[in-house]
Amino acid sequence: MMLTFVIFGLLLSGSLAWYTDNKTFLGLKFQAKWMALVSVIAFAFIFSFSVYLSPLSFLTLQTITQVPWINSLNINYALALDHLSITLIILAFFLAVICILVSWDEIQEKAGFYYFNLLATFVGIIGVFSAVDMFLFFFFWEVMLLPMTAIIAIWGHEKRYFAAIKFFIFTQVSSLLMLVAIIAMAYIYQQQLGDLSFSYQDWLVLELNDDIAQYLMLGFFIAFAVKLPSVPLHSWLPDAHTQAPTAGSVLLAGVLLKTGAYGLIRFVIELFPQASENFAPIAVTLGVVSILYGAKMAFAQSDFKRLVAYSSISHMGFVMLALFSFNEIAYQGAIVTMVAHGLSSAALFSLAGMIYQRIHSRNLSDMGGFWQSAPRMGGFGLAFAAAAFGLPGLANFVGEFLSLVGAFKVFPFMVILAAFGLIGSAIYGMVLFQKTFQGSSSKIVRDLSYRELIISSSLLILLVILGLYPNFVLQYFRGVI
Amino acid sequence: MSTSPEIANSVILSTQMFVALSPILLLSFGVVLSLLLIAWQRSQKMIALFTQFILFSTLLLTLHLLSGDLLVGSGTQITTLLRVDRFSYLSFVLICFSAIVVVSLSRSVLKSEVEVHDEYYLLILLVVLGAGILVVSDHFASLFLGFELLSISLVGLVGYFREHKYAVETGFKYLILSATASSFMLLGIAFIYSQTGNLSFAVSSNVMPFSEQPVQIFNSVGILLLFSGIAFKLSLAPFHFWSPDVYQGSPTPITLLMATVSKVAMFTVLIKCCFSQNYFTHESFIEIITAVALLSMLVGNILALRQQKIKRLMAYSSIAHFGYLLIVLTVSSLENTDFAWQSALFYLFAYLLANIAIFTVLLISEKNRSNVDRDRDIHIIDWQGMFWKNRLSAVLIIFSILGLAGIPLTMGFIGKFYLLNQAVLFKSWWLISGLVIGSGIGLAYYLPVIFTLFKNDRVIENQNVDVSGVYLVTTGKQLFLFTLLIVTLLLGVFPDLVSQFIYR
Repeated sequence: MMLTFVIFGLLLSGSLAWYTDNKTFLGLKFQAKWMALVSVIAFAFIFSFSVYLSPLSFLTLQTITQVPWINSLNINYALALDHLSITLIILAFFLAVICILVSWDEIQEKAGFYYFNLLATFVGIIGVFSAVDMFLFFFFWEVMLLPMTAIIAIWGHEKRYFAAIKFFIFTQVSSLLMLVAIIAMAYIYQQQLGDLSFSYQDWLVLELNDDIAQYLMLGFFIAFAVKLPSVPLHSWLPDAHTQAPTAGSVLLAGVLLKTGAYGLIRFVIELFPQASENFAPIAVTLGVVSILYGAKMAFAQSDFKRLVAYSSISHMGFVMLALFSFNEIAYQGAIVTMVAHGLSSAALFSLAGMIYQRIHSRNLSDMGGFWQSAPRMGGFGLAFAAAAFGLPGLANFVGEFLSLVGAFKVFPFMVILAAFGLIGSAIYGMVLFQKTFQGSSSKIVRDLSYRELIISSSLLILLVILGLYPNFVLQYFRGVI
Repeated sequence: MSTSPEIANSVILSTQMFVALSPILLLSFGVVLSLLLIAWQRSQKMIALFTQFILFSTLLLTLHLLSGDLLVGSGTQITTLLRVDRFSYLSFVLICFSAIVVVSLSRSVLKSEVEVHDEYYLLILLVVLGAGILVVSDHFASLFLGFELLSISLVGLVGYFREHKYAVETGFKYLILSATASSFMLLGIAFIYSQTGNLSFAVSSNVMPFSEQPVQIFNSVGILLLFSGIAFKLSLAPFHFWSPDVYQGSPTPITLLMATVSKVAMFTVLIKCCFSQNYFTHESFIEIITAVALLSMLVGNILALRQQKIKRLMAYSSIAHFGYLLIVLTVSSLENTDFAWQSALFYLFAYLLANIAIFTVLLISEKNRSNVDRDRDIHIIDWQGMFWKNRLSAVLIIFSILGLAGIPLTMGFIGKFYLLNQAVLFKSWWLISGLVIGSGIGLAYYLPVIFTLFKNDRVIENQNVDVSGVYLVTTGKQLFLFTLLIVTLLLGVFPDLVSQFIYR
């Protein structure tokens, strides 16, 4: 019930934020951003406490709610949680707060509708992380897409329509393939056990013959590889990230990409273990290619956000590599990388947003020498760039290190290649930092405001905690594989 | 599934048959009454109200019959010509509903003209009657009768505003193509008759009394010709060339009539014919269906990409949608036909609601354009910024278009989900890939329409365009739009509400 309450509560408060924006009730002037911030924080606390106080052990999937929805096809409204989904939902909540703070001054036009879309995206994301009925999962998967597209298309930068359409078409076509696979699974279940079922837990008992499993796995895999994104299905990402408003990029990089990784873990690998194992060499190759290609492309960019976007492709390549090594250490590495990348890319995109607000450009050649006028921003910039290239002591290092160590046992050659990605990331990270903060000072920029300080320091603190004490997250993921 | 022999010797029309057929009879009675009404007093208001009344009572009567037990099972055979069953009346409900909308929309169009438009309403009633005969027909003769009644009345309506720029051209195009289609169909029926010696749907086409050695080719060609006649009406590729022009040239309510009533009726009779004649067991028939469906999905979606006029866009998107719908014809066995009917009816309902919503808003914006460019078609760009000016219409358009694109939260998604179920059951991977690719291309023209609604940086390139952006919507229309929105969303999230009604 609690989860349903959170989902619908967020949706309702989003609508309220839209409705009450800039209206005066009882002498108080309501603003959508306050409404959104308060409700997200409130629901985050409700969620965390109810999970913390819950008597259930979330080591395995625990069904929270199950209500019949479409009877004729035996579709249920079923939500379940385990440590993986809880971790990702909490990450989503944290980044939701960051998103709202980041948009605080940036979004002035149509703010009510903006915050509605932001919260609606979070509703979709929470739904994706908790749905265990596959029809419901698909439903949320698409619902999260709509407001995200609206955010890009309405509040984005100059080429926003193109980027939004590209983003939507990529995700939609690939998810239709997943839908076909979902339907096929339901009918296979009917063939084997007599009843139609869309329930994930039911499907785990299915025995699939190899050929069919391979095709069905591909249906799921493509949908999630687009979201992750993995080369060669990545081309929507640089456009979408670059054109989205700051919060949109934070949301995309921080949480939306994680839904792809989540899908790989939850559905591809667990539903089709044998087929995924057969497919692992290809998937791992794609992961390594993503790592190297992302790093190389990031190095060649002159647009701040585009650079960070390509670095995301590179980082998510590690997740793919680690997941398809079927190894506990690598699996833990993937989890840490997911969380760490969520934080570090959110941090870099927020930084891009802060700079954009000051100089109205994302072009690296317009930047330079900001350290002189804004030393605090520079300090955070250095720390975030260091996190992105995996400096020990920060979270990304732990994730990438574990991924590589774990995967080395299985795919030594691939891991050696992937390790070059780390060098690449150091290069683009330093390029990013130098072009922005060092060199001759061309412009005088304001230093960070208190709001921006809160954003940056909270992200940095978490990165450091996770970097120094990864058990903070890892304790929940022991003995899973 | 065979004709009951007692029909020939017993009374021609028993009470039960009479009751089962009563909606159609009521409608035909209405046609006669409205002729009398015209003779008695020519009044625009009266005839409009009367038409509305007839349609509404037909709708209620049909719904009443559907909620009773009369139509459970295989339905009621009425002579050899007609058979009334649940599915045909369910689609008749859809037809009546859209006709009612068409009539109410027509009032605002006709108000601006000076003449009294009795014929217009009469023709609409005749179209609905034709559609009604089509959906209950169980015989090639009644199929042809309904087909012609529908087409000829539509020709009159398509070119109704004869002083308009495209009226004559459109009327002619539609006339010639309907005539071609019906001659194709007649020839096809003749070929089928030459093989089976019977015109009833219920006789399996595998029986061939006239020839010792089955001349399979005649039968196949016959089915092919019959199908192409129907495909003309459904504007399936490669028989689609007329539809954008006719959509564009007709008065908007009539475009809606064509897009909904005519197509729903034709599609229903197509399913009926295919299922009772077991066409789905013919491999070559399935191949043809697959080819036409794939072609329609691709052609419709690709040609829609560059359209700037909303009516033409809708014409092309409708080609693609009927391509998707053809999936329901590929059923594996008779047991699956119920699910196929359910998918088809749900999809048609979703398609119909989306079309009604879009055409209603289109008509409102046509009313609001300035007098200078009264003949100008509404382009997508004319809807720019609607979201910030007229929230309700815009939200309705957004959800209708998302529905056409098959995105969750809307009925269109559930419809597409049913179709995919159907296709997976039949393992028709070609159709599935067509649907996936088609939907992908479709997004490339659906999404820009939605984005246009959100844009507010309008560049005025044509001074004649009325940019004041005042959308005058009457309270009645507001209420109607709101209901449409609620229904679309409600059924998109709880499709069981409808499927329970279909199955019973």
